Order: sequence, then C-alpha cells, then structure tokens
Amino acid sequence: MLKKNAYTKRSKALVWRETVSAYLFLLPALIFFIGFVIVPMVLCLVTSFFNYTMNDYSFVGFSNYFEMFRDPVFKKAFWNTVVIVVVSVPTVTAFSLWVGSAIYQVNAVSRSFFRCIFYLPVVTGTVAVAVVWKWMFNKYTGLFNYALTHMGVIDNNISWLGDEKFALWCIILILFTTSIGQPIVLYVAALGNVDNSLVEAAEVDGATHLQSFWKIKWPSIMPTTLYILVITTINSFQCYALIQLLTSGGPNHSTDTIMYYIYYQAFKLNRYGYGNAMGVILAIIIAAFSALQFKMAKSGNED
Amino acid sequence: MKKALALVLAGTTVVCSLAGCGSSAKTEATAAPAAETTAAQAAAETAAGAAGTESPAADITLWTYPIGSFKDADTVNGFIASFNEKYPDIHVNVEYLDYTSGDDQVTAAIEAGTTPDVIMEGPERLVSNWGAKGKMVDLADLWDDDASKDIAATSEAIVAACKSPDGIYYEYPLCMTTHCMAINYELFEKADALQYINEDRTWTTENFGKALKALKDSGVDTTGVVYCGGQGGDQGTRALAMNLYSAQFTDADHTKWTMNSDAGLKGLTQLVDWTKDGSLSYDAGAVASDELQLFANGTTAMTFCWNASNEANYASSVAFTPYAVAFPSDDGKPELCGGIWGFGIFDNGDAAKIDASKIFIDYLCDDETQGPVSVKSTGFFPVRASFGNAYAGTEDEERMAVYSTFMPYLSDYYNVTAGWAEQRTAWWNLLQQIFGGTDVKTATDEYVAACDAATAAAK
Repeated sequence: MLKKNAYTKRSKALVWRETVSAYLFLLPALIFFIGFVIVPMVLCLVTSFFNYTMNDYSFVGFSNYFEMFRDPVFKKAFWNTVVIVVVSVPTVTAFSLWVGSAIYQVNAVSRSFFRCIFYLPVVTGTVAVAVVWKWMFNKYTGLFNYALTHMGVIDNNISWLGDEKFALWCIILILFTTSIGQPIVLYVAALGNVDNSLVEAAEVDGATHLQSFWKIKWPSIMPTTLYILVITTINSFQCYALIQLLTSGGPNHSTDTIMYYIYYQAFKLNRYGYGNAMGVILAIIIAAFSALQFKMAKSGNED
Repeated sequence: MKKALALVLAGTTVVCSLAGCGSSAKTEATAAPAAETTAAQAAAETAAGAAGTESPAADITLWTYPIGSFKDADTVNGFIASFNEKYPDIHVNVEYLDYTSGDDQVTAAIEAGTTPDVIMEGPERLVSNWGAKGKMVDLADLWDDDASKDIAATSEAIVAACKSPDGIYYEYPLCMTTHCMAINYELFEKADALQYINEDRTWTTENFGKALKALKDSGVDTTGVVYCGGQGGDQGTRALAMNLYSAQFTDADHTKWTMNSDAGLKGLTQLVDWTKDGSLSYDAGAVASDELQLFANGTTAMTFCWNASNEANYASSVAFTPYAVAFPSDDGKPELCGGIWGFGIFDNGDAAKIDASKIFIDYLCDDETQGPVSVKSTGFFPVRASFGNAYAGTEDEERMAVYSTFMPYLSDYYNVTAGWAEQRTAWWNLLQQIFGGTDVKTATDEYVAACDAATAAAK
C-alpha cells in the first residue's frame, strides 16, 4: 500500500513537471495573447460604458450604445458594411473556387504563374494599391474615363469615387481584387489534395464532371471553403484602409463603414468610449456571422 | 481545467507585474521632475554664473508637421546643431509627422503618455484641440511684452489665435501666411480673361464669373475644380465660398458658425450654379493635393489651394506661369484665411524638459540670427514685425513680395473655434451634399446645427 502511494506520488510529480514545462513553453505566447488580445478586448468592453475622451472619463452606462442606434451616420455605415460583406463574400468565394478549379490541374509552371498573378495584389501594400486605383478612377485623367469615353460608353467623365452611385461599388471592386489571392491559393491546394481515386471511381460509375465535383470534390474542400468564408467575412467587415485612403467615407457618407467610423470617432473626435462601443457591436456581429457560417457549413457537410 | 485557470491567472499576474513595473517606472519618472528640476536649475545657474549663458541639461523631443523645410531632416538637424553650439547640454531628437497620419500619432501618444516635449503646428491643433484639453503647457513667459508687441504689430489676429478663450498661450508662433488662389497665366491671357483681375491681384465676384465664361469660350474644358473629397486644403473652398458675397464663417466671438447667413447661402448657391452650367467643376473624389496636381499639369486653369510655399514646391514641375491672386469677392476686398505655425509644449510633468523646450523654442523663433533663418525655411512670413523682410536680398525676394501684398487681407482666424475637428468633416460633407443636389439652405442649416452642437459639446 505504501509502495503504491509512493509510485502514485512519483507519477503525479512527473505529470506535474511535464505539465509545468508545457505551460512554461506556452507562457511567452500566452503573455502576448493576454496582453494584446484579451486585455484590450476587456478594456474595449469596459470603456464602452464610459464617456472616455481626451479629458473625460465618466461612467455613462449604456448611453454610448443608445446613441449609436440613433446615430444616422452609424446606421449608414452599418448598412454599407453589410452591403460590402453580402456582395464581397459570395463573389470572392465563387470566383476563387472557379479560378482554383480551372488552374489546379494545369502544369506546375502555369499554375505558379496564375497563383502569382492573383496573389500579387495581396502582397502589394494597401497604399500602393490605393494610389494606383485612385489614378485609374480619376475623373479628369483616369484610365476608366479615358477608355469609356473613347469607346463611346459615356459622354461625360464620371467621378467614380466622388459619386454616391459608384463610390461603394468601386471600393468593393478594389476589395475584391485584394481579397481573391489567398482563397485561390487555398483552393488550388485543397483541390489538389482531393483523393483522386474517389473521383475516378465516380466517373467509372458514370458520374459527369459536374456531379463528381459537387458530390466528391465540394464536400472534400468544405473545410477550406469554411475557412475562406470566415476570413473573407472578417476582412470585409473590417474594411477600413481603402476607405481612409480613397474616400474618407464620402461622398455624403456613402462609403462609411463601421471600421472607418470607429476610427473617425476615436482618432478624429477623440471619443474613445463611443468608438469602443461600436467596436463591441462589430465584434458581436462578426462573431454571429462566423458562427452562422460554421453552423451552415457543418450541416452542409453532414448532409 | 483548474490548472489551466491557474495558469491564466499566473500569466495575468505576470502581465500585471510587468504593468506594475511600468507603472513604477512611470511613477518614478513623474516623481523625478522635482529633483531633476532642482539639479537642472542648479546646473543652469552654475553655467550662467560661469559663462553668462543659461544652459540646462535635458533630452527633449521635437515632433514637427511638414511645414516648409521643417520636413527636411538636413535643415532641422542644421538648426539643432546651431542650437547646440549655444546650448550643448540640451539634446533634441526629432520625429517628422505628415498630415495624413500625424494627428493619429499624436492622439495615440497622448493616450499612451508618450507625447513629445515640443510640437510644431498651428493653433487649430495646439490651442483649440490639445491645449483646450489640458495637454499643453502655458507659454506665457515666452510671450513677454517685447514679443507680444512685436507680434501684435504684424497682426493682432496672430496673438489672439495663439491663446485660449481664457487667455492661456498654448502656442508660440514662428511664421504665417495668407492662403490664396492661383491661375494659369497663359490660359487666362489666351482667353483674354486677365482684364478681369485688378493690378493688385484682387477681383470681384462678377469679374470672376466673366473670367470663367471667357475661359470656357476659349475652349478650356475644366476651369477649376471645387474639391470636396476630404478635409485636406479645405481652407481654399471655405475662402472661396465665404468671399463671393463677403460672408463670415463664424461670429466674432467664435461661438457660432454662420455660413447659413444670407451672404453665405448666396456664395454657396453661386458655386452650385456655376457647377451646374459648367463654368466650374466639382469633384467629391478629390482633395486639395489632387486639385493642385490637376493645376500643375495644366488640366485646370486655376487652383483654390495656393500660397507662397506651394508656389515654391510646384515651381519646377509646371510648364506655365502660376499667378497668385486673391479670392474673388463682391466688394473686391477679399478676406483671406491665414495660416499660422509655431510651437507648443506638451505637459509631460518634467519641469527640466519644459524649461529646455522653452529655451529651444525661444532660440528657433526669437534669436536674432536663427529666427529669420527658421522663418525662411518655412517659406512663409515672420510673425515678428522686427524681422522685417526676411527674404530681402535672397532669390525669393521677388516671389515673396507678391504674397506679402496679400497680408493686409488676413481675416479673422476662426480656426480656433471649439468643435473645429467636427466642422472640418462637416464642411466637405456639406459641399458634397449641395453639389449632389441637396437644397443649399437645408444642407447648410444642418451643417451649422451640427457644428454648433460640436462647439457646445467641446466647451
């Protein structure tokens, strides 16, 4: 009995030592995670209940949240953000899947070439991308107006980024070009990993290309699709840099997004508490969308 | 689970400990000034006694916006080297800000407690923003009688702009200018539109309209662009709208916004009418830098964002003669928006650094030799009347003489009105609305209401 206890104690000590070692290895990452993710999140939540400005820090309860839902610019920004997400996410995913399907079977050199082309806007700095697009959209000297007027499509030059009818769609177009790189690379890799024997077996049994795609490849790449949906959704919700560099939310708030409005309130007007309240709502919305996507993708996979 | 929780708590403790260390360090740093001040003062007194010159020891940091050559490291380092010949124990580190992200950097620094000691910019930031929020040091001791009289002799508006409504000086100015517009001389000449500009480079609203028509008739496609894609260079569009029918942007006390006055509405309506009939263009996708580029490459015949410094910057890149003119006004007497730039000191709680910063500012602005050199590096005019013509005998003398003729038209510096930041965004949104078809009175009333609310909230 005594011997057994001694053995158990030794065993526990070993387990404890290993556990401590493991956690010590994790500690540096944990410190950064707590310091740069958890603590800011908690502070964001806490300060959203304060009138936190450069010279004030008074508790105001839920008044920032009430103000937010009465704020017409926030409502406009929210709507614009939803439009960006609803348009961007399906188009980016569908286009990436199409391109990925088209190029994953071509020879390695061609595949690398296309991957490089589509990935280029991702590795190019956002500022450089914005400058080039701004030049192309320029009302007086831009490429689009030059081409369209010379083709006779339009009579007068259009201020693409200065016209409420076009500005948001221009932003979505730029966002699209900078968002498709990573999904295409992921789809090419995922499609290349699909078990080819299953596809061949299905085709021997008489399945068409479309059927083998939907019944075999599509379910096989569902985890990749889910990942792409989630990251594209988050990126679209967080659309900020393009707005800051190209339109400042204009014209007439037609390109304001929640992220840009948070920046405006926090950094231009120094209303940190109000900005944080909007940040909390944005985080909740992103979490809800992501959960919904997980749920739908999971149920689709089970079917 | 318990272990994991324990570990999280342990991690949190570590973070808190680190934060605690940080706090301690900060506390020590905050507690140190008294001792440091005493030491610095003692050192200064010793130095003063020995050499007759006060030279306390301190490391200070200067952040500067791109005002003329103050964006150029060689120029600023030269000034610091010359400063260190006189004050060898004050070490100045410099960081350069730009107008795109500079405000964000300062805001982040204020919240993080890492603000520089000295910052160079205009009263709209130093006085009505950071000063009003208690972040800046009172510079009353720099504003002695001599300085006050000397600067007031140039313009009382400068003195008023550098102090808060309750009389605290948060800025010590170095230079100033009046913002104007410029035309493409050759295009105007070809259109026979120079006849509408007076010899003193002023013109009336009526003649401005005639000039637009003459330009269009001569085949100029885009005469000018009223840019409203953001706040960059918005002083140009404000001055244009104000001057057309002599409107005031705020009341004299800077407590209310007044562009919904009859004169203001008339000016804004006139701009809309000109854009509707094609005499002028507007672009809600362009800011001043875009409009300046259009002017510089000859696409437009005029720019609404011009000053002496812009002419110097664009001199080598234009293939025509940029001819500076005042904004058109109904009575031919323009009221031009001023630009004032100078220095402020952030209150970092370190008296030695504050003292050293004041010495540095005093040297850059008031030193008999360095002062005029500092002014010339900005490309603007001295605020001190005693500096006289800082450009006399230089290659810039002729060019600057033109801009000095605009100085009598310097208008009220309303940029110090509380709620200025909100107003700036509301202004270009107003222009976007009225050019987009919204009724001018309705949009302007809403704009004024929003600005008044911001002003009330800021007090």
